[in-house]
Amino acid sequence: MGQIEVHDLCKTFKVAEREGGLGAAMRSLLFRKHRQVHAVDHISLDIKAGEVVGFLGPNGAGKTTTLKMLSGLLHPTAGEATVLGHVPWRRESAYLRRISMVMGQRSQLNWDLPAMDSFLVHLAVYNVEKAAGRAALDELVELLSIGGVLKKQVRTLSLGERMKCEICVSLLHSPSVLFLDEPTLGLDLTMQDRIRDFIREYNRHHGATIILTSHYMADVTALCKRIVVIDHGRILFDGPLADLSARLAPFKIISIDLQDDVDGYAFERMGEVVAHEGRKVTLRVGKEDAAAVTSRLLADLAVQDVTIQDPPIEDVIRQVFASGRGTHP
Amino acid sequence: MKALVRALPALLSQSLATMFQYRGEIILWAVWGVVYPAVSMAMWAVAVKGAPGGEQIGGYAPRDFAAYFWLTMVVGHVCTAWDVYELGWQIQTGRMSPRLLRPMLPVWQHVADNVAYKLVSLAVLVPIWLLIVVVSRPNFDTGLHELLLAIPAVTLAAIINFVWCYNLAMAAFWVTRMEAIGQAWFGAGLFFGGRLAPLSIMPEPLQTIASALPFKYVIWYPCELLMGRLSPRAMTGEMLNQVVWVVVGLVVFHVVWRAGVKRYSAVGA
Amino acid sequence: MLRHLRLIWLFTRVSIQDTAAYRTDFFAHVLVTIFNGGAELVGLWTIFSNTRSLNGWNAFQMVALLGVFRTMNGIIGMVIAPNMRLIMDDIREGKLDFIILKPINAQFYASFRRVIVWRLADIALGLGLVAVACVKLSASLTADKLLMFLVMLSAGSVIIYSFWLVLATLAFWLTRVNNMEMVFWNVFEAGRYPVDIYRPTVRLGLTYVVPLAFITTFPAAALVGKAQASGVALAVLFAAAALAAGSSFWRYGLRHYSGASA
Repeated sequence: MGQIEVHDLCKTFKVAEREGGLGAAMRSLLFRKHRQVHAVDHISLDIKAGEVVGFLGPNGAGKTTTLKMLSGLLHPTAGEATVLGHVPWRRESAYLRRISMVMGQRSQLNWDLPAMDSFLVHLAVYNVEKAAGRAALDELVELLSIGGVLKKQVRTLSLGERMKCEICVSLLHSPSVLFLDEPTLGLDLTMQDRIRDFIREYNRHHGATIILTSHYMADVTALCKRIVVIDHGRILFDGPLADLSARLAPFKIISIDLQDDVDGYAFERMGEVVAHEGRKVTLRVGKEDAAAVTSRLLADLAVQDVTIQDPPIEDVIRQVFASGRGTHP
Repeated sequence: MKALVRALPALLSQSLATMFQYRGEIILWAVWGVVYPAVSMAMWAVAVKGAPGGEQIGGYAPRDFAAYFWLTMVVGHVCTAWDVYELGWQIQTGRMSPRLLRPMLPVWQHVADNVAYKLVSLAVLVPIWLLIVVVSRPNFDTGLHELLLAIPAVTLAAIINFVWCYNLAMAAFWVTRMEAIGQAWFGAGLFFGGRLAPLSIMPEPLQTIASALPFKYVIWYPCELLMGRLSPRAMTGEMLNQVVWVVVGLVVFHVVWRAGVKRYSAVGA
Repeated sequence: MLRHLRLIWLFTRVSIQDTAAYRTDFFAHVLVTIFNGGAELVGLWTIFSNTRSLNGWNAFQMVALLGVFRTMNGIIGMVIAPNMRLIMDDIREGKLDFIILKPINAQFYASFRRVIVWRLADIALGLGLVAVACVKLSASLTADKLLMFLVMLSAGSVIIYSFWLVLATLAFWLTRVNNMEMVFWNVFEAGRYPVDIYRPTVRLGLTYVVPLAFITTFPAAALVGKAQASGVALAVLFAAAALAAGSSFWRYGLRHYSGASA
């Protein structure tokens, strides 16, 4: 049985619609037109304890809305979910004590005070026993190496230092489930790496279940063995990272090394030319055409070497999102 | 000077546009200036009943108080200035820097904002003022002579308040607690300007202090003038005092502004 | 209950540490408070050098009223206003999420997480004025009046808290509610005089719309012997009703926020 179970979860928002212009503004005072937006549309998931799952999707895909329903911030329009045996949106203390949420673009620290003060308040609010709280604090401060900034006013910290403090405060009560919404947003590359290392370590040591959303492919590929691709509120893919390309990519990448220079051969008739440098040519062709194109190339040209690959994940994702837009209402 | 004449209308229209953007807030700020006089008006109308005789206090019957405090409401609005907060904030948050790079004193921008605010908020205030006249039935005794004199008197009053408020705001170049300074300034203005009570019915020592401060020339003098209660000598004498406060204020402005900018660029905000 | 009291103490302690770090700020504020106290007295001096009574309130009864006015000013400025301002900001910036996710009552946490310590100076000044008034009126001061005063003061605090809670909760629907704080402080000035000096319509508004009468006039009236026991009972009932209404509005706001009521 999974630790997080989700069945047909839906969230529909009612959005007021208005055209531009003064006349429309006046009209909308009296008759307001509404549009239903299906932010989350029948999502089902089953996540086991200790898994690290990455939610991938473009802005407005429904990642954050899903995360908010699982943490209990939002009440779904339809569907069911249990996390740690609780229905999240009942927001029972017993549940809230065992989860935590980090939002990359929002701070839960008090900016006017040193981070340490926020930590102490957090421990008291979560009613963490003194010794356990002390131990958790010491461990996190050590792991995140933030010992030097605890006494500084949060306002004066750099973005990276602050993010580390945000993560620290959200882990003080040793949650079993951790929701991370864009935890590396806006950080520089080194700091992104550090945060990723920390999350990986934390998961390994404490066995906490982690659900992470991110814009950065690297976050997801570095941390998550399991990927859930969401677009327009639906799950397009749910499975191991390795399968993502094979399952979702509608095309293959064919690379050939030629023995001699070839002039005038119409590669573009075979497929999309991704690169053509000297004797190296890379083509992108539809999945079902790959075999035919390859044999045609081998027949036509003196080929030294040929490889057929799935395209890089970033490309697949981009492609999926670009085409997905048109297919859904 | 010529450049300034060209720039001012542009500044003013820009300020007007900005103020329109904030019309919601402006209504609230403007109402601020209505509550205090209205409260004073109500209080003195009641206080008269407890005075010896129960008819009047120091020559003010309830309807005279109504006229006086209605005038403090109007004159108070025309003379309002808030740069203790605004300029202080701009200096301390470093927002002064881009303004200092312009080939014009930043004060002109503040003048434009000040005038624009007063014009825009009239749309809300005039109806409120009229309503209060209808409800409180003030007793005006204003002649044409006083009405004409009031034009320079109120103009000078507005200049005094703006210049001295600005002078005080420049303290922000040196100290950080502008909020406290602002509170002290506005608090003192309530008493010594004659917003709590006409100065003539205040205790003697307070009247003495008031004559050494600029506030009475901002509120009390124009209001008393419009009440028709001043002797011809007092009318012109007090206006001369106004001119003195303006001149001294401008001199102080020039000296302090230079020192302040020097300090600002030395500290590097 | 005990845990909640402990939390309030912790929030206060953290705020004190914060304030202690800004010593000059603290002294500047205390100076302003002393200045304000002086200003209040100057006002009274001016009024009572011209009249014997303000609608039946003599000078020292007015000192008591001013003391209550200052005390309430301090209580609102110390706890109520800053926390409610935080709620409005949090709603606007979407940071309320963090409060909802805390394993304690959201209303409690949101209402007490910050304390502006230097406002204690206002409360001290206010209570000082009340004490002076008590000494001067000691001839007529009895234990039951003092008790009624304390009950009225508590009821007033609950009422004004509920009023602010409703204002803050409005931020779930309206975007510019923080301007309301300005309107409140503006209208609050009217509370420095007994509400019965105003016209009947204004008086009604100051009693039931912006409940200034309950927080300034009524407690002072109880202290100086202008209140009936039945009035005190009514105030307590009104306070209970206001708290219940404010809290359920807050819960309704939260449900709306999480999409449960939509």
